[in-house]
Amino acid sequence: MTVTVSASGLSVRYGGTVALDDVGLRLEEGITALLGPNGAGKTTLLRVLATAVPADRGAFTVLGHDPGTVAGRLAVRRALGYLPQNPGFHPDFTAFAFVDYVAILKELTDRAARHREVRRVLEEVDLGDVRGRRIRRLSGGMRQRVALAAALVGDPRFLVLDEPTAGLDPEQRMRFRDLITRTGEGRTVLLSTHQTEDVAMLCHRVIVMAGGRVRFEGTPAELTARAAGRVWSSTERDPGARAGWRTGAGAFRNVGDAPEGADLLEPTLEDGYLLTLDDTGAQVNAR
Amino acid sequence: MTTTVATPPEAVTPAAPPGGARTRAILALALFEARELLQQVIVLVFFVVYTAAMLWQTFSGHPGWHELTGQEGMADFPALQDADRATQTSSVLLGLAVFICANRAVLRSRRHDTDRHFGTLVMDPWRRTLAHALSVVPFALFTGLLVVVRFVWTALRPGAVGHGSVFELAVAPLTVLLCGAVGVLLARLVASGFAAPLLTAAAYVAALDFMVFTDARWSRWLSPVVSEAGSDPIPSDLVGRPAAWHALYLTGLIVLVLCAALLRSGGRTTAIKGATVLALAATAAGIAGQSAGPSAALQAARAKVSEHPESVETCAVRGTTTYCALPEWTGRAADWAKAVDRVRSLAPAAVAARPLTVRQRVEARHGLDSDPSYDPLTTPGAVTVGTRWGGNRVPEFSAGLASVLVAGDEKAGGEVCDGRVVTVMWLALGAAPDPLGDLRHVRLDDSTEGGAYVLTPTSGLMMSAGQTTVVKTLLQRPRTEVAAQIKAHWTELTRPGVSTVRAAELLHVPATGLGGAEGNSCVA
Repeated sequence: MTVTVSASGLSVRYGGTVALDDVGLRLEEGITALLGPNGAGKTTLLRVLATAVPADRGAFTVLGHDPGTVAGRLAVRRALGYLPQNPGFHPDFTAFAFVDYVAILKELTDRAARHREVRRVLEEVDLGDVRGRRIRRLSGGMRQRVALAAALVGDPRFLVLDEPTAGLDPEQRMRFRDLITRTGEGRTVLLSTHQTEDVAMLCHRVIVMAGGRVRFEGTPAELTARAAGRVWSSTERDPGARAGWRTGAGAFRNVGDAPEGADLLEPTLEDGYLLTLDDTGAQVNAR
Repeated sequence: MTTTVATPPEAVTPAAPPGGARTRAILALALFEARELLQQVIVLVFFVVYTAAMLWQTFSGHPGWHELTGQEGMADFPALQDADRATQTSSVLLGLAVFICANRAVLRSRRHDTDRHFGTLVMDPWRRTLAHALSVVPFALFTGLLVVVRFVWTALRPGAVGHGSVFELAVAPLTVLLCGAVGVLLARLVASGFAAPLLTAAAYVAALDFMVFTDARWSRWLSPVVSEAGSDPIPSDLVGRPAAWHALYLTGLIVLVLCAALLRSGGRTTAIKGATVLALAATAAGIAGQSAGPSAALQAARAKVSEHPESVETCAVRGTTTYCALPEWTGRAADWAKAVDRVRSLAPAAVAARPLTVRQRVEARHGLDSDPSYDPLTTPGAVTVGTRWGGNRVPEFSAGLASVLVAGDEKAGGEVCDGRVVTVMWLALGAAPDPLGDLRHVRLDDSTEGGAYVLTPTSGLMMSAGQTTVVKTLLQRPRTEVAAQIKAHWTELTRPGVSTVRAAELLHVPATGLGGAEGNSCVA
């Protein structure tokens, strides 16, 4: 599979805070999840890859283009679709006008072709019927889809999505997952999320970050496998568990180093993620 | 049964474009932003008001908001060297709206937090800034179109004289462009929507103070629109406004402001730096050029035409009248002749056949700031006519002419205050299309009652309340009847010292209320 993004030694520091610390990664076609707690450096990494901020150190290429040069940065931006965290909108614009505006900023200059493209992406995110409605009159889920349409316009080969399902209700999240699955076909998608269910359902690869560093890179199954034999059930909270919580059935689900003879459970991706974070010393909040 | 499979539309990608595509992208954004500007309430309202005002002024011939009633007729005889400037002031209205809205448009991304996203898109911030500045261009072009329509419409009037300046006509669209460019620059300097109106108000007050404090020509000409208006037009070659330098100054300033905005947005290309230097030079040259006062040659030419108009005039003879006009006004002799013929037609044949010279005079010594006040001519049969015509100027000229027919020359005519005033005013107005209306307009107090000063091109004359009553009565009678009485009693009616009571008697007007000499305006 073709490597779309290749990065090594990426470091970013904000004052005394290290946001990225020697990050290296390789992204291929398909959907890659970026998991991590708040402050892990996910958004900074996405902003660096989206050419919104430069890295203090390190280098990366997108589709072979080096954004460190003017021509390279231009080429990267031509291939990029970016949905920032909590995206802004121009509320007085219609959905069509906003996406058209973004298309112009992507330098799609042929008016007829551009309008065709805007209509296409709005249809793709199921907003074809409301494209003439002003954004201030759209629901939160619809606005998020407008932002996705804006990211998709111009058919970018590299799509960067920063927590696209945050703040959406379950139904909206399900619809969005479907959208992301569709949009991931034939392009490279880097999806930052807190939702391990999203990762399990959508992604073919996953990267876990904590403290500005990459702690895990592999498939969701490999992340899940990290918890194999390390999840067990008990009637009382097991003091030896690294994390544990009472389930709806009343029993405790424990994650950590299982005691001898423990009632082992089938691990989930979330268990693997929690254990990965715990192994790095990051705070695990599920106690 | 047939199954149709719909083919999904093919995606359009921003592939590396051929040359010129980046420019087309800027133009596409400029067009988008221009449409957005037009949808802003402030712009829309000011745009409609400006357009309506310009069209109304164009087709009504009304020269501006502040002009007085009674001058409408003058619009049929425009001087194009004044008409070009008349297009400028109202453009500030549209410019102000464009300034505020262009500023807000640039700040839109910051206001709605789309900067983070747009910063990752292909178009650089400085190109977006350029597009914002270009979005004002359609408004400037439209302003230019309205200016041209108004000027051409004015120039096509049969009574139009003189020459306009393309540089004066360029001021209105350039003002709109400048306002837009300043709005864009301000947004790049201060990221607050309130900054633009506040800074504008502060800059306006500071500029006014500065101009009052310096009271210098160079500071006055820093303003985009420099109003100068005298009461009467002067020949176009004597106007002496540095219109070309001012247009260069405005153009340079627009490019300079734009370049500052582009540089501020990160556009540090060689072309932009070069344009900045050129714009700076053009602005400086414009300021230097427009700051120079009128040359010695211009002042000499102004003095010559003011003191000895006959040295530059062309004379044409029509019947027993010679019409001497300044070069740009020669076509107006036919209009003067109509007024002369009307007045002459009411006088006895011998008087009507007397040779007259209509002499055009102008006060140009102080340029456009001149307020003409002509001494009456002492040459027998010479009558002064100014450079403005139509409206009140026609009965004023007729009154001056009639006073010469009655008294012999302008100086003597201006001193008429006895019963001859009745004959003078009836001769002046008797054959006019609207005699009573003209009587009202020719009097300083715009009334037809009581005593009043009557305007003429030179010193004017006084009309008493009694004389007003007699003249009004005569103007309401059949013209031929009064003309016959005037002709029959011409010698006595025009004899110096004849009383108003006697004039009324001769003309069969009841002398009620005209006691002795009180009917004469010579009596205080």
